[in-house]
Amino acid sequence: MTGRAGALASWWPGLLVAALVLWSAATLEADLSRVAAAGPRLGAFIARMAPPDLSVWPEVLDGLLETLRIAVVGTLGAILLSAILGPAAAATVSPGWIVRPARVLLALLRAVPLIIVAMLMVSAVGLGPLPGILAVLIHGTGMLAKYYAEAIDDVDPAAAAALESAGAGLLQRLRFAVWPQMAPAALRDTIFRFELNLRESLILGVVGAGGIGLHIQTYVRSFQFEKAATATLAVVAAVLLIEALNGALRRRVA
Amino acid sequence: MSAPAVALDGVGFRRPGAAAPALEAIYLSIAAGEVVALVGPSGAGKSTLLTLLDGRLRGWTGCATTLGRALYPDRPPPRAARAETGFVFQSFALVERATARRNVLNGRLGRMPLLPSLMGRARPEDDAAASAALREVGLLDAAVTRVDRLSGGQRQRVALARCLAQEPRLILADEPVASLDPRRAREALRLLADLAISRGATLIFSSHQPALALEVATRAVALREGRIAFDGPAKELTETALEDVYGAAPRASLRLAG
Repeated sequence: MTGRAGALASWWPGLLVAALVLWSAATLEADLSRVAAAGPRLGAFIARMAPPDLSVWPEVLDGLLETLRIAVVGTLGAILLSAILGPAAAATVSPGWIVRPARVLLALLRAVPLIIVAMLMVSAVGLGPLPGILAVLIHGTGMLAKYYAEAIDDVDPAAAAALESAGAGLLQRLRFAVWPQMAPAALRDTIFRFELNLRESLILGVVGAGGIGLHIQTYVRSFQFEKAATATLAVVAAVLLIEALNGALRRRVA
Repeated sequence: MSAPAVALDGVGFRRPGAAAPALEAIYLSIAAGEVVALVGPSGAGKSTLLTLLDGRLRGWTGCATTLGRALYPDRPPPRAARAETGFVFQSFALVERATARRNVLNGRLGRMPLLPSLMGRARPEDDAAASAALREVGLLDAAVTRVDRLSGGQRQRVALARCLAQEPRLILADEPVASLDPRRAREALRLLADLAISRGATLIFSSHQPALALEVATRAVALREGRIAFDGPAKELTETALEDVYGAAPRASLRLAG
């Protein structure tokens, strides 16, 4: 490759990014003068939220717990489905004609945002926690099964071959050679996916799929900003709590 | 007279797509209790032959028996037969996150009833065999240590203990000491041979260090390009004979190590 062509090859990603930024900024018609006026309006909005109306606390707590239950049941379903689709998408244990369609299916499941899956589920099964659970299950499986497949593919086959040589059967090899090698990664990924499921399902209520989101939606639409403030604070606290718990859990399985 | 530990009758093997056969016209009979060194340059077919004897090679031709039982080129031997033939892997092939004891117990899986073994329950005789094997390799103190915290030499001994716990009548070892330094390699190979002899088991091991191998073995089988180039008492495999086997290999690689 000549020097000039080489230089071009190393420059084009930078040029592409620069072009993208210029095009975006120049064509969005975002009037920056409106940002200057935003301060007082935002202040007024926050002032209307204060003080938070704590009388709705029982309602908010109910919503939060419903979100938690949606995430728990949805994650459990995703684990069960991934226990089948994960090995199906792992090249070291499944034949190619199963692996490829399984991977395409998982990529599709991952590609559709949770909120859109939830909207589809609401139109399919009606309002309430059920569409939320189904949405978390479907969307979560796309990622979790991919993680399980990677954990299986990372297993060193030598130990399993050694156990086969010693007379171990298939189940014994899975239990004593494959599982101990993949368990830490699978556990870590499952906890991580649960955290994501919980965070993402906080918003599900907005489309009618159950949980705390419904309350926030209702309060804001009916201009009850003091109540919305309580629900928002509860969500922030819940997310921080999940993050701390998850961190502690992950350190234990390392 | 009991059946030979190994009997090969015109055994051959060619890898799919390979021009030259990996094994060709192998005739070999090894009596129970022999200690045999398998030597020869890399690519001569040593690993292939050991894998075949362990029942893990598919698509070979000819007739082969181990411990009086026929091997078949299209399927692995049954569990009980696999349990009677132990294999020590060059890379040790241990479960890194499990303890030394769990790894040694894994060698018993072929003899354990399925359901209790899946629940991690070992019978008293399995526990006893695992403890005895760990004691014999000097690792009883490290029994509950995870393998990924052990040194290379200790891992090698865990792999050896796993094979011993299996109570095999035939022990196959593929370059069992290749990853150890010369002093430890000699110790480990001596230990392997002593333990095999004291249990009355037949031992066949390969090594790319012929000098070291011939110190331990009573019989030597040299492979070259998939064929047996020498078969006789270890002490008759002189440096001149070795040069024939290794062809134009530099003399330095054949010299006595240490």
